[in-house]
Amino acid sequence: MSDTHPSAVRPRAGMSRRQAWVTAAMAVVILIPSMYGFVGKFLEFVHIYRGASGGEFAVAPILNYLLASAGFFCMLLWAAWNGMFRDIEQPKIDFLENERLLDRDTRP
Amino acid sequence: MFESKSGIFFIAGIGFFLLAFLGNGAVPMLMYKDRHEQTAEEVVNKKVLNQFADLAERYPEQFRAAFGEASAERCAEALRLGRQIYVGEGCWHCHSQFVRPVSNESRRYGPVSKTEEYDNELQRPVLFGTRRVGPDLSREGGRRGNDWHAVHFYRPRTVSNNSPMPEYPWFFDGGPDKPNRRGLALITYVQWLGSWLDEYPYYEELAEVKGE
Amino acid sequence: MTSRSQTAAAVHDRPAHGDLVDERIILCYYVAALTFLTVSMLAGILMALQLVHWNPLNGVELLSPGRWRMIHTNAVAYGFLANAFLGTLHWAVPRLTFHKVASRPLSWFIFVAWQAIVGLTAIGIIVGPTFQDQPWLLDLAKQWRLPMNLGAQGLEWGETPFWIDPVALLGLALVAVNFMVPIGRSKGPMYVSLWYFMAAFVWTFLTYAMGNLLPEYAVAGTSAGAIGGLFIHDLVGLFVTPLGWGLMYYFVPILLKRPIWSHGLSLVGFWGLAFFYPLQGIHHFLYTPIPMFLQYGAVISTIAVELVVATVVINFFGTLGKKGSEFFTNLPIRYFYTGMVFYFITCFQCALQVTLTFQKLIHFTDWVVGHAHLVMFGVFSLWLFGIMTYLFPRLLGRPWYSRTLCEYHYWLSSVGLFVMFLDLTLAGVFQGWYWASLQPWDASTDGSQPFWITRVFAGLTMFAGLLCFLFNLWMTWRGAEAAERSTSQFAAAAT
Repeated sequence: MSDTHPSAVRPRAGMSRRQAWVTAAMAVVILIPSMYGFVGKFLEFVHIYRGASGGEFAVAPILNYLLASAGFFCMLLWAAWNGMFRDIEQPKIDFLENERLLDRDTRP
Repeated sequence: MFESKSGIFFIAGIGFFLLAFLGNGAVPMLMYKDRHEQTAEEVVNKKVLNQFADLAERYPEQFRAAFGEASAERCAEALRLGRQIYVGEGCWHCHSQFVRPVSNESRRYGPVSKTEEYDNELQRPVLFGTRRVGPDLSREGGRRGNDWHAVHFYRPRTVSNNSPMPEYPWFFDGGPDKPNRRGLALITYVQWLGSWLDEYPYYEELAEVKGE
Repeated sequence: MTSRSQTAAAVHDRPAHGDLVDERIILCYYVAALTFLTVSMLAGILMALQLVHWNPLNGVELLSPGRWRMIHTNAVAYGFLANAFLGTLHWAVPRLTFHKVASRPLSWFIFVAWQAIVGLTAIGIIVGPTFQDQPWLLDLAKQWRLPMNLGAQGLEWGETPFWIDPVALLGLALVAVNFMVPIGRSKGPMYVSLWYFMAAFVWTFLTYAMGNLLPEYAVAGTSAGAIGGLFIHDLVGLFVTPLGWGLMYYFVPILLKRPIWSHGLSLVGFWGLAFFYPLQGIHHFLYTPIPMFLQYGAVISTIAVELVVATVVINFFGTLGKKGSEFFTNLPIRYFYTGMVFYFITCFQCALQVTLTFQKLIHFTDWVVGHAHLVMFGVFSLWLFGIMTYLFPRLLGRPWYSRTLCEYHYWLSSVGLFVMFLDLTLAGVFQGWYWASLQPWDASTDGSQPFWITRVFAGLTMFAGLLCFLFNLWMTWRGAEAAERSTSQFAAAAT
């Protein structure tokens, strides 16, 4: 892709200190129970594999969940690798700007 | 996409989604293949056969036209059809089929439900239910006579005070004394529910229920 | 840095709205959605009337409340929500990505196929049981040990008859392809809405396959119960919720003319949902024979998902910020934020009712029904009404026929829904105690009558709101033919 178009046309998105703080705090708060849930599922899987009574019922949903989560984890890595989180606040500005441009064409 | 390192993750991600989809088929095939699932023929028991014979005696003409004789094989057929009707008419949206270990349910209905009760063809998919407008039915078999059920399906409010249950006249050829094949099958199915247990309480007999 | 300039470059030779968006298909989807919503609400009213003994059609086989109850739920999920979402996606995805959908003929094929799927499901549910008693069906059932229901299958929202399931799956796969192509072609970091949409395409397909195939074909008994619970849960959580939030992240900033408070936080919420939401299905069947350790796991993760919800709510109210007055003046915004308040109530309720203590009392009662209405109507339907209120004037190229009727639609829908929610929640508590007290069963149904009667009127209020909307839409649309033809391409697309 060409780099000719000056990105200065667009307003830059910054993140206020409060936004950054709330985002980080929520990320941690969500991550910990998420990890708990994930590890829990994994332990259940092991539990069942060892033959907990009646446990085979859960294998299909758990395996489904583990595989889908693995899929999303790969997607997360893919996104991170592609720099999608590097300038994390910019898409919200770009998208509004695009909307404005699209509407400028069509709306009198 | 394929040439970049990140593309590997992208493809792996899609791959995992596909695996998750395929797992739906593979897991049951691998995990549950040794579990025996009872067929409709195998779940026919003495109690439900008695009820089936009672239907033959009570509504001889209708029964002969619908099922011929009251054999175990015909009874299994009636159970299959009865369950199809039960599901198709949406009975399971107002009647659950499992007794919980809480809320006095074992006193009202009987023994708490166990996993083994659901390992049969007639619980495919399982009919736990999500709402009880009417009572739970998993211990309904033998609680009431076939004639009661016939009248109840025809016009619930004649035997059940103020019941909000809809009427099902299409299970009958004109009157509650003439259940058709669908009606006979559904009554057989309802009489089968719980018939695998030795006994359960008749909650109408409980002191609290009678209001004594 | 490069990624941003790529986006900027894309803007340079940016395509026009008319090339990107096929407005006609959006209108078609919306008309279909509103048709199914009308059918669904009529079916709901029929069931409500049955419960209070006022059903004038008692004993008519094809209008049996038992069958129409399934029409009620299926028409809402697959007829109204799915159609309205698909229509809106045809607006949002091309505009977000600057690329057309994969193929317009494919879009139209999907549209027709989806209406056929929903219509045939309805027909199957209504006439299936009448023709169930066929010797060849019984032979098949005996041979394969399968349910073989011509009509509904015995799983909530999985009632879609077995002979339609493969077609529906194919349809969902085509939907995913049709929208993933433009998303894949777009350059640069993705806006959060696109993440949500992508996840929804993947999840809907997986969830539908799991729920409609496994319990019917592969597994019997309790294991199927665990899967069925996951299906009911994930259909709301992984099909409706991500599409709903994705659209909120799209429309709210546009209408408020300011960016979302924190894009980073929205992504945290998205990934939290991605890893977290699917865990909880079994909480629909607590105290069943499903192993207890699984039930505990589901309970804990459900309570924890409230944190994810909190991020979203913080973010949107942060976006509203000092523009709070828009809530009163801007009708779509009012719809959106009302829905969000209801969403917060729903999720708060989730965290409570999922505990075993609450389940003892309220499982199987009308509390659950109230909860379901709050989330499906109070949240997602209100959001879609808001989106339609915003988009119809743009699609038709003229303002609403009557702003007052739009207001009526809002007030009747949201007040009716809130009354119904409170009423059913309270009814659930009463029913739970009637049952636990071992009184005769009649006590619970008689004691529910006042609540059920209130529910009928709440439902009629919501339906009146819909009628206002339909009449308003009809008049607005008809204005198209009467008035002079506008040169704007919105109007051109509408004719």
